[in-house]
Amino acid sequence: MLAADGLMVFYENMLALNNISLRCHENQIVGVFGANSAGKSTLMYTLSGIILDQKIKEKMRGGEQITVMGEITFEGREISGLRPHLRARLGIVLCPERRRLFPESSVMENLKIGAYMATRQESRDTLDYVLEIFPPLEKLLRRPAGFLSGGEQQMAAIGRALMAQPKLLLLDEPLLGLSPAYQQVVMEAVKRIREAKKISIIVTEQYARPVIPIVDYAYIMENGSGVMSGSGQELLDNPDVKAAYFGV
Amino acid sequence: MEILIYGIVNSFKLILIAFGFTLVYGTSRLPNFAHGAIFVFTGFVAWIMMHKLNLPFLPAALLSLACAALVGVVIYQFILKRIRGMNMNEIIATYAIGVALIETFRWLGFKGTTFTLPVVKEGVVFIADVPVDYQRLMVVAVGLVMLAAVWAFTKFTRTGRALRGIAQDERAAMMLGIDSDMTATLAMALGSALSGLAALMLFPLGSIVVEAGYNTLIFALAVCMVGGIGSWSGTVLAAFVLGFLQVVTVTYLATHFQMVVTLAAIIATLILKPSGFFGKHKELEERV
Repeated sequence: MLAADGLMVFYENMLALNNISLRCHENQIVGVFGANSAGKSTLMYTLSGIILDQKIKEKMRGGEQITVMGEITFEGREISGLRPHLRARLGIVLCPERRRLFPESSVMENLKIGAYMATRQESRDTLDYVLEIFPPLEKLLRRPAGFLSGGEQQMAAIGRALMAQPKLLLLDEPLLGLSPAYQQVVMEAVKRIREAKKISIIVTEQYARPVIPIVDYAYIMENGSGVMSGSGQELLDNPDVKAAYFGV
Repeated sequence: MEILIYGIVNSFKLILIAFGFTLVYGTSRLPNFAHGAIFVFTGFVAWIMMHKLNLPFLPAALLSLACAALVGVVIYQFILKRIRGMNMNEIIATYAIGVALIETFRWLGFKGTTFTLPVVKEGVVFIADVPVDYQRLMVVAVGLVMLAAVWAFTKFTRTGRALRGIAQDERAAMMLGIDSDMTATLAMALGSALSGLAALMLFPLGSIVVEAGYNTLIFALAVCMVGGIGSWSGTVLAAFVLGFLQVVTVTYLATHFQMVVTLAAIIATLILKPSGFFGKHKELEERV
């Protein structure tokens, strides 16, 4: 479904992504693990096209020069030059790191803004679905998103991304700063979303333990390079990986 | 009593003048310094349509609003789009366009006080023994309708919500499929049309003069800065504060102190609370 080949991203001379290739098939959950600054977010920005927007803005300001190379094909279509909102229209929706909800809008309005590309019917159905997988949101619909706790924000953010009717959902560090209980809720929801919506999901995380049970395939990144990949079990069985990413 | 009523009327004048500016800045971070020029432009276009093309008021008004919106779109598509994100350049470019537009009218001979727009309806009513003409009531009514319309638009329509989204977090909105160029174009069109609407409501109270372009811009800026630039509720509140301040000044001091007070308000705001009444922090605080 999504194939990325030879992705390279430079911030000025700093190599942020070094020749990353990644596959995500129909209805798969793919994990990308790595420490801070391994390039996970850059990878997500590159897949979603936000990097192009960054590049244009930096150039305007006379700031950093960002160079992006490599090929991304989505459903057989070359998309590496496509701007982010167009990629979203094809079905690649990023749920960004730190959630980035619209803070002054209520949760309901966040969800409705998310439904920008959806038809009325899709919007209604998805809203029901979001409340079904995240029941706590029901009570919070009228509250400004800026006043939610981290876990509540994450549920709202995933809900908002679902409202955009993704075919490929990119989740950038969805567990960041969440309590173990909320981590459980979010991971359970991700699993259910894949089963119910038949979509593909790429999820990044620093710490692989809570995510590994639900992924079909995973990549490990270090300093912008892909160092290893394999199914969840293969990575679990690898002693080096185990020490670095699962905590012994 | 007089102060109360004229204060309210004056506040709505300021709301009409400033809201377009705030709308554009609030949603797209574009400081449209051609705002005042579009104000004057709309006035003259309406005048030309009525007196040279002999159109009745309503079609002339609607057409001139469309022209104002078109100017906004053109300014964005041909100029701002290329320099977006560089605030200083945006200000210089839009201001230059504004000056060019205003001075073109002056050069074409549109000066003096012979150009007037008709009031919607002649007449005066007495509210608590204070005479208020219909046009001033219209200003209040149109101001209220405009606020309600903009509010409903951003609350209940898909496109309006897209504007709300992009105003709060441009990138997050992009990830949901919202095109920032589209919303910016739309914001410029709307903002310019609102400036035009203000012109159609306010010029009938006096005559169309090119200088109004500069004054309008200063008033719009003052209201926006005092209210917190880009904040809608702040704009309304600031319009009332400045509106009453101006009326009090005119009543107890003299008319020409109006501008002094307005500029003093900007300075006071910058000293006391540079972000204005409701200057917003755009970043969503991280909660863990």
